[in-house]
Amino acid sequence: MQRTHTIDREAVLWMLRRMRLIRQTSERIAKLYATDVMETPVHLCIGQEAVSVGLCRHLTDRDKLFLGHRTHGPALAKGLPLPKLMAELYGRTSGCSHAFGGSMHLIDTEHGLPGSSAIVGGSIALGVGAALASSLTGGGFLGVSYFGDAATNAGVFYESLNFAALRKLPVLFLCEDNGWSNVMPKSAHSAHDITSVAERFLPVLQADGTDVLSVFDRAGAAVQHVRAGNGPMLLHCRTKRWMKHQGPDRCDLPENAVDPARDCPIVKLEAFATRSGMVRADECAAIERAIEAEIDAAIAFAEASPFPTPELLEA
Amino acid sequence: MPWSKFQQDYAAPTGGRTISYCAAVREAIDQAMGHDPRVFAIGLDADDKFGVFGSMANLSHPERVLGTPIAENAMTGVALGAALSGLRPIHVHLRNDFLLVAMDQIVNYVAKWEDMFDRQVRVPLVIRSIIGRGWGCGAQHSQALHGLFAQVPGLKVVMPSTPYDVKGLFLASVADDSPVLFLEHRWLYKNTGDVPEAIYTLPFGKCQRLHAGEGLTVVAASLAAVHARLACEGNGLDVDLLDPRTIKPLDIDTIVASVRRTGRLLVVDYDFPFGGFAAEVCAQVAERAHGALRQAPVRICFPDRGMPASGILERAYYPTPERLAAAMQNLLDGAPVADDLLVGGGHGR
Repeated sequence: MQRTHTIDREAVLWMLRRMRLIRQTSERIAKLYATDVMETPVHLCIGQEAVSVGLCRHLTDRDKLFLGHRTHGPALAKGLPLPKLMAELYGRTSGCSHAFGGSMHLIDTEHGLPGSSAIVGGSIALGVGAALASSLTGGGFLGVSYFGDAATNAGVFYESLNFAALRKLPVLFLCEDNGWSNVMPKSAHSAHDITSVAERFLPVLQADGTDVLSVFDRAGAAVQHVRAGNGPMLLHCRTKRWMKHQGPDRCDLPENAVDPARDCPIVKLEAFATRSGMVRADECAAIERAIEAEIDAAIAFAEASPFPTPELLEA
Repeated sequence: MPWSKFQQDYAAPTGGRTISYCAAVREAIDQAMGHDPRVFAIGLDADDKFGVFGSMANLSHPERVLGTPIAENAMTGVALGAALSGLRPIHVHLRNDFLLVAMDQIVNYVAKWEDMFDRQVRVPLVIRSIIGRGWGCGAQHSQALHGLFAQVPGLKVVMPSTPYDVKGLFLASVADDSPVLFLEHRWLYKNTGDVPEAIYTLPFGKCQRLHAGEGLTVVAASLAAVHARLACEGNGLDVDLLDPRTIKPLDIDTIVASVRRTGRLLVVDYDFPFGGFAAEVCAQVAERAHGALRQAPVRICFPDRGMPASGILERAYYPTPERLAAAMQNLLDGAPVADDLLVGGGHGR
């Protein structure tokens, strides 16, 4: 595939840091989850980091990203500060949603994250609405609807594609296709091929969702297309969900076997970065250590933050 | 664009300009769009030449009136997304029944978004819809369902009965920073009344007294309020008739104060009976002023079944001003309301 967006050391380091932030945070959550310090369901993104990070490298804080229930990865990729995520998971008032949202309802208006939803599919329409606002006001920002493959079984997906295409709205549909709907494999939940169906409404690009360089490249092209006023586009990224639908455990079904060299976006990016000479191996190790320290600090912040008081329900 | 500067008048003026309920809605929409460039209207047939029964005909800013496909669920999400991105959408529906297609977006998204994020973002969205009735419209084109929506935290439910109220409350709905469900009744569209030309807003949660009396408190909104008023005025009944105008927030204080004087309560609610608005009013009055009631409170609602189509059946199904008057007379006489006047029959028991 011809690369349309040049990759440089700064971009590689940014994506490596963000993917490691998501991965290591998820792994820490998985480790802590059994202690019940986080009284909220968690839908982890381990193995899927390339999709959100490759996309968000091209988004600005003004672009509005609407998410579904698997929130942590894309929210961190978009810029949600880790302490605010941790405090929300810990149910503290310093959390991004002030302890009213939990894991599935994250918000960060400063970084273009106007909220996320736990009902699969519906937030696709909200990205279209943001794009409509941009179009009506000449706002110049994008609406981005970020959803999984299972959401394409819902009617709201088609309704949203149709309206966006009719009005040529500046919206990017990002399908993070991990091949699972809750506990059902795609063969059991989708009779359709997502890209073929979407192509009836609008142009579609595809990327390898386990390879951040692939996503970075295709997302760059898609964002450029939409930002230039050419109407909506869908980017389909096939990736792999290493974890169970919810909770701290791996999905160890035979059809979900993971080969890190083939499937791990971090292993692949580090291999590219060191092989190409852009980043040294010791720099990669330093990033890993720095993020562990960042997670320690975020947990300390969450633990030191006050719990909400029941009086807040009266407000 | 500041919406707070407009005066909030309580009483309807007299001797001024007279226009129809429909024209008052149209004027409110036009003035809202003219006053605030963030206001736009969206919905099925919103840009049709008939203009939603005339209520949106020939608006001054047609570039901000957008027709949509029949896709109420996604279009509600689109309106929400736009509201979260700095605009103040008016989402229009020709019939309340169509709102049910958008129940996921209305209940899970629109109503919850502010609570889920502790009001860090606001949802200044007006969902405007019209209640139908009669002419064989049947079970899927005649529902009001305001009781269903009022049950959901995060939605205000506004249902004005007069041209003055419809304009002032519509502008107040657009001015509100949170979601408002604004329900008009198609049968009120030709009614006329005094309506000031200037922009004005009316407060939510304030009853309007449509008829003064001491023998019986009657609570009724929208078309039911107009029917109850006809019943009172046509028969000289000693009835304190209160139109809540917004069923959520509800001005329960005024209702309770009235019941303390009259000792009797009738709620006329043109909606299904079970767990509905009438039941809510009865419950709240019983909770606050049980001792003031000289007689058990009475509800007149629709029967607990879908609307029929044939005219003969429709006339049997729907309450009328005459039936309301007879029921009120029963209560004023200290008698139980005759079974055949309780159109709701068993009230779904």
